Amino acid sequence: MAVLKNKISLKNVSKTYYLKDRTVEVLKDITLDVKENEFLVLLGPGQCGKTVLLNIIADLEKATSGEIIFADGRPKMGDLGMVFQKYALFPWKTVMGNVEMNQKLKGVDKATRQAKAQEYINLVGLQGFEKAIPKQLSGGMKQRVGIARAYASESDIMLMDEPFGALDAQTRYSMEDEIIKIWEKNKRTIVFVTNNVEEALYLGDRIMLLASRPSYVKKEYIVDLPRPRSYTDKAFLEMRNEIVANTDLDI
Amino acid sequence: MNSSEVKKWYYILPVLSIGMFFAAWIFLSQGADTMIPTPYATLQRFLDICVNPISEATLIVHIWASLKRVLIAFFFAIVLGVFLGVGLGWSKAFDSFLGPVFEILRPIPPIAWIPLVILWCGIGELPKVVIVFIGSFVPIVLNTCSGIKEIDPLLINAGLVLGANRRQLLFEITLPATVPAILAGIRTALSSGWMCVVAAEMIVAKQGVGFLIVRGQESGDTALILACMLVIGVVNLLLSTILVKLEGVLCPWQFSKTK
Ligand SMILES: Nc1ncnc2c1ncn2[C@@H]1O[C@H](COP(=O)(O)OP(=O)(O)OP(=O)(O)O)[C@@H](O)[C@H]1O
Ligand SMILES: [Mg+2]
Repeated sequence: MAVLKNKISLKNVSKTYYLKDRTVEVLKDITLDVKENEFLVLLGPGQCGKTVLLNIIADLEKATSGEIIFADGRPKMGDLGMVFQKYALFPWKTVMGNVEMNQKLKGVDKATRQAKAQEYINLVGLQGFEKAIPKQLSGGMKQRVGIARAYASESDIMLMDEPFGALDAQTRYSMEDEIIKIWEKNKRTIVFVTNNVEEALYLGDRIMLLASRPSYVKKEYIVDLPRPRSYTDKAFLEMRNEIVANTDLDI
Repeated sequence: MNSSEVKKWYYILPVLSIGMFFAAWIFLSQGADTMIPTPYATLQRFLDICVNPISEATLIVHIWASLKRVLIAFFFAIVLGVFLGVGLGWSKAFDSFLGPVFEILRPIPPIAWIPLVILWCGIGELPKVVIVFIGSFVPIVLNTCSGIKEIDPLLINAGLVLGANRRQLLFEITLPATVPAILAGIRTALSSGWMCVVAAEMIVAKQGVGFLIVRGQESGDTALILACMLVIGVVNLLLSTILVKLEGVLCPWQFSKTK
């Protein structure tokens, strides 16, 4: 394998909330690199600060200390794709309206941005639903819109915060296949957050195992299994058991 | 009981309660010295004022007189109320500057303004419009303001990540997300405005449903009073039904059961 360049480097990123009556130490010295075009999974137990960490990478929150280095310079707001845990779709906008939002905010003319949005709507398999509004869609379809909307920012970095956490098992499996297909068709650097060991193993090139709060990188796993992977594959199960043995409770 | 039997009761119960209401009404209106007219007498009086004018106007003209005052005041209340509500909810500076004044004036019941407004604006159309304005302006401001403040932070984050600047954050994301709250405020405001117009007309007016009630009081015409009270209720119900329908059209993502 060729040596890949580091796309994002986190160096001792820490986050503490100072509340009136107490302080909450959420992240403690998170240090990790995200390589160009890799599928990196951050695997951590509930409430360990995964969302906070992604928000810090996306510049929605400030780290208390530490630094984040982007190889190609910090992307401007709007130049980084993010898929949210709870979809965060604009409920008054249609599928098209949601997916074209980034380009609209950037002032791209309607014909151009809608043509672009259409490409990504097709990419996630939602053609025919352009005019639907989110409440008419199932959970899986909603998150497809979330993915299309993030992809439409044409950023080469995609942050995904437990995008399938709210879906039922069946939908979840098919969305996992889908996201890999999309990624293989349209390579980008993906940072994917989950609290599900199988999901992490099924998707990731590498897994960063996070400890529970205050969270730090406990261990790195390189998943050298060929895709498409199988949940029942022997090597898969071995790795799964190894990771589970290492996780803090309640994953 | 199975569920269809339970459902049946949901149809029977309202009929039952309305029946009991009328039974009680009829019972209370029996006897020669009662001040309560029978439902039948009330209905007769209602039909009578529909065709025979009081103070040169039939019932529908009186209703329209009141409604016109409400609609004019309402228009200004919406425009200014939404503007002020957005300002208070969106801008900390604006809130800390105007918020306290609004907080002082807000708890004063709109009806308490009537004497002052009559002294200021005379007895024409203007004072009624002003009273209704005061009554409907406040709920619109409050709902708009809290709608803006309580927007789901996730939508703001989504907007920021997608590259919205502050102006776009307000116009593309916060305002559309606040439309349901604004519409709820408008619905409260319409009820409140309708109440205010009746109150204002009861103090001084030559036309309007409030005026009709006072006319009934002056002539001891209890049937007229009751008929007008029911009309006031029905008009209020109609207005809010229309608004609910309008909400479904304006924001199907929130109110209507689209499938
Ligand atoms: N603004 C804030 N103020 C105070 N505490 C906060 C704030 N934001 C997050 N936290 C705390 O940080 C911790 C981690 O939150 P976060 O949402 O990042 O967890 P998570 O790993 O994403 O959890 P989940 O798996 O449930 O999504 C929580 O315990 C939360 O209470
Ligand atoms: Mg989270």
